[in-house]
Amino acid sequence: MDEAMDNVMDVQGLTLRFGGVTALQDVSIRVQADELVALIGPNGAGKSSFLNVLSGFYRPQQGSIHYKGRDIRGWPVHKVANAGVARTFQGTHLLGRMSVIDNILVGRYAHMKSSLAHAFAWYPFTYREEMRHREKAEEIIDFLEIEHIRHQPVGTLGYGMRKRVDLGRALAMEPQVLLLDEPMAGMNAEEKEDLARFILDVREFKKIPVVLVEHDMGVVMDVADRVVVLNFGRKIAEGTPDAVQRDPAVIAAYLGTKQ
Amino acid sequence: MNAQTKPDTLPQCLLHNARQRPGEVGQRHKKRGIWVEYRWSDIHARVCAIACGLLARGVGRGDTVMLISENRPEIYWVEWAALAIGARTVTLYPDSSQEELRYVAEDAEVVAIFAEDQEQVDKALPTLAACPGIRFVFYCDDGGLWDYAQPRLFSLDAMIEAGRELAQREPDRIDAEIARGRADDIALLAYTSGTTGSPKGVITTHRALLDCAERLRRAVDIAPHSEYLSYIPLSWVPEQWFGVTLGMLLPLRVNFAERPDQVQEAIRELAVHVIVLGPRQWESLAAGVFRRMIDAGWLRRRLVDWGLAAGRRVHLARLEGQPVGLAQRMVCALADRLVLAPLRDQLGLKRVRVAITGGSAMSPDVVRLFAGMGILLRNIYACSEFGLVSAHVGARYDPETVGRPLTEPTPWGGAMQWRISGEGELQLRGASGFAGYWKRPEKTAEKLDGDWYRSGDAVGRTPAGELLYYDRLEHMSTLRGGARYPKQFIEVRLRFSPYIKEVLVIGDGRHDFVTALVNIDEAVFSRWAEQRSIGFTTFADLSQRPEVVAQVAEELRTVNARLDTAARVLRFANLPKELDADEGELTRTRKLKREVIEQRYASVLRALYEGAEHFDAEIPVRYQDGRAGVLRAAMRLGTVSPQPVAAGGGAAVPTRELATTGG
Repeated sequence: MDEAMDNVMDVQGLTLRFGGVTALQDVSIRVQADELVALIGPNGAGKSSFLNVLSGFYRPQQGSIHYKGRDIRGWPVHKVANAGVARTFQGTHLLGRMSVIDNILVGRYAHMKSSLAHAFAWYPFTYREEMRHREKAEEIIDFLEIEHIRHQPVGTLGYGMRKRVDLGRALAMEPQVLLLDEPMAGMNAEEKEDLARFILDVREFKKIPVVLVEHDMGVVMDVADRVVVLNFGRKIAEGTPDAVQRDPAVIAAYLGTKQ
Repeated sequence: MNAQTKPDTLPQCLLHNARQRPGEVGQRHKKRGIWVEYRWSDIHARVCAIACGLLARGVGRGDTVMLISENRPEIYWVEWAALAIGARTVTLYPDSSQEELRYVAEDAEVVAIFAEDQEQVDKALPTLAACPGIRFVFYCDDGGLWDYAQPRLFSLDAMIEAGRELAQREPDRIDAEIARGRADDIALLAYTSGTTGSPKGVITTHRALLDCAERLRRAVDIAPHSEYLSYIPLSWVPEQWFGVTLGMLLPLRVNFAERPDQVQEAIRELAVHVIVLGPRQWESLAAGVFRRMIDAGWLRRRLVDWGLAAGRRVHLARLEGQPVGLAQRMVCALADRLVLAPLRDQLGLKRVRVAITGGSAMSPDVVRLFAGMGILLRNIYACSEFGLVSAHVGARYDPETVGRPLTEPTPWGGAMQWRISGEGELQLRGASGFAGYWKRPEKTAEKLDGDWYRSGDAVGRTPAGELLYYDRLEHMSTLRGGARYPKQFIEVRLRFSPYIKEVLVIGDGRHDFVTALVNIDEAVFSRWAEQRSIGFTTFADLSQRPEVVAQVAEELRTVNARLDTAARVLRFANLPKELDADEGELTRTRKLKREVIEQRYASVLRALYEGAEHFDAEIPVRYQDGRAGVLRAAMRLGTVSPQPVAAGGGAAVPTRELATTGG
């Protein structure tokens, strides 16, 4: 098979600087279709920066980002999102007063065609579109098993549930690739297990590649197909979870070395 | 119903409905936020398609099909499909363990398993691998099952697909199979929940199902086409009478909630006519009222108290057949407008005509509470083996009893006779009768005294001819001094306290007095502690707070006031962890497993009887992933004083007055 076609995302030689600070230096990562890539590394290693570059929040100084064969480096955020790159955030950026279903419907925004004027006039096609989006949203609610909180304002939910809704909103975009930024930070063991299962389900059922930034090594080693390790903005290791765990450079980065 | 149209089997009822009322909606299921309707013709078509699939996959007359699923239309269809081709079914509780599943699969000679989703499939697959008799497992919810590569595991749709060729070749095959069914064919093997010994399969024929359903209908007067919410598990025989049999015989419109934890919401959306809940669910509905009352303002609390009291005065008097004055009736009508109708609406009981409880004895206080709202809660009393025994009949009955024996014959069963033996045991004969345990003739013989079926229940009889249920015969307890007392009788009364979730009463020939192990209600106490600024961390900590122990002592004292001196609970301990079915402390119907609990807390009990005030307990626990551990807790053992404790805010709790009404 043609390798270029198989890569959903191909990042080459990425360098990102904030003034004198180099957040990422010459980082190259490939994400293949149907693959769960985990990005790990100590605090400040550049993991979130990397996701922010992929989703268009930061403009890198050097390097290329090919997404499905197109170079999306420098594209504005909404254009990247419309192209099918969805992400969740560290913490959650949901609309607290809106219900779960409305938050998920917000994720459908890129797919909505009716304008505000149409919505006021309530044309038949607006109505049909509303039905179609609602159906998609309900599908996601079913998939994530959150029927019971469908009409609850997101602000009243616990953290674990909010993260699930956050994932739901990302899924509502019908993404081609899903970027998850520390989805399990601050969760208890049970919530982590639940969410890990949904992330695996996303990959298995929706066949979407996932890039996961995560601190919890247990989760990463359980779910990832491939692990990329960053340290001080550089890629120091890449491979299967087992291989990465044994890599001396990784052990040194996490545990330190003898002087 | 005349002799010509009298169906002999359940599938014959289905066929009748499909022909007589094809366009009527028989089932509704909330899916993705919308109530999806199934008409009788749809249901019949689906059942036939599944039945063809079963035949094509080699399941036939006399085989056993196992079902393990939450209540949803598919489990009904699969059951009817199996019955249609003359197979029998055995249904497990959805939270049964892998071991239970395997035991029943081997005992019942199961050939196919219908497992709802990934959770159930995961339990069924090891059994499929280990038992050569099982041919395949099929499921209806494919979530998480996308990459299960197992040739003998497939979806319900694939099953229907497998039968499509047969269905096209012989379109009338299933209807012909249904016509071959006889009333005495075995429909179900109902496994006893195993409070005593390993589970035994009770043989249940179509005749028994139809007979019990018909007697039930007459007793509580259910109208055709009533809305009914299917909630109690199918593995519990009453659901087979209600949702399955009456659902087709009358028929009812049987509704299914979106997910099991959505039942309360579904009840409100549907405003059902007929509702059957276990005693615990009624109690939890009642506790929900109390919980919200704690949060409500002073005025609203007083208003609800007043309304319930006014309702109770009239409705209870009517229940007891006493005259009700005009003034009282007017106050009640006003209370109904202001308080009771909105309260019923809140609970989703606005249109309820038949409200039923059963399974185990229920605190009469719950019955009284709902009577106050104008909802007459009726007990039914039944056992898996003999079927329906008694029910609260008519407009006048005694809430303390389990109702009047249903002796009248039906088209499917003769008159029922009953007697109370010298030991106080209820014995029965007639009706559709006890058909025996599956492959256990010696156990069957133990339950029979000539042609009388021995229920094993200690009962009494009120002057009005209603049955008073005490306890299982073997559970009537005797203290060292020879005093006899019914533990369960005490426990149900204690359990109605909003503060107490579970309680185990202890005291036998080795003991001089009665003690109790209390599982406090975490939700209620958390809120209670919050209001009083009492800090706590875990359940273990909360349960041992001195204020909490004192409050539980108050609850016990209230109940003690209604008991004989010898039966009073003198000492108690709050358990530092919740009782858990996964640890074998409860059965799947949430009945207490006494031996297990008594053994686990033996050291605590010893300390209670020795008069200790404090005790450092070490309790073996098992985590959900199977690991074993030890829970260490510094326990504070309580003593129930005969006098009310003057200090503290105990008496100011808003729920108190409600909790003790009717006493």
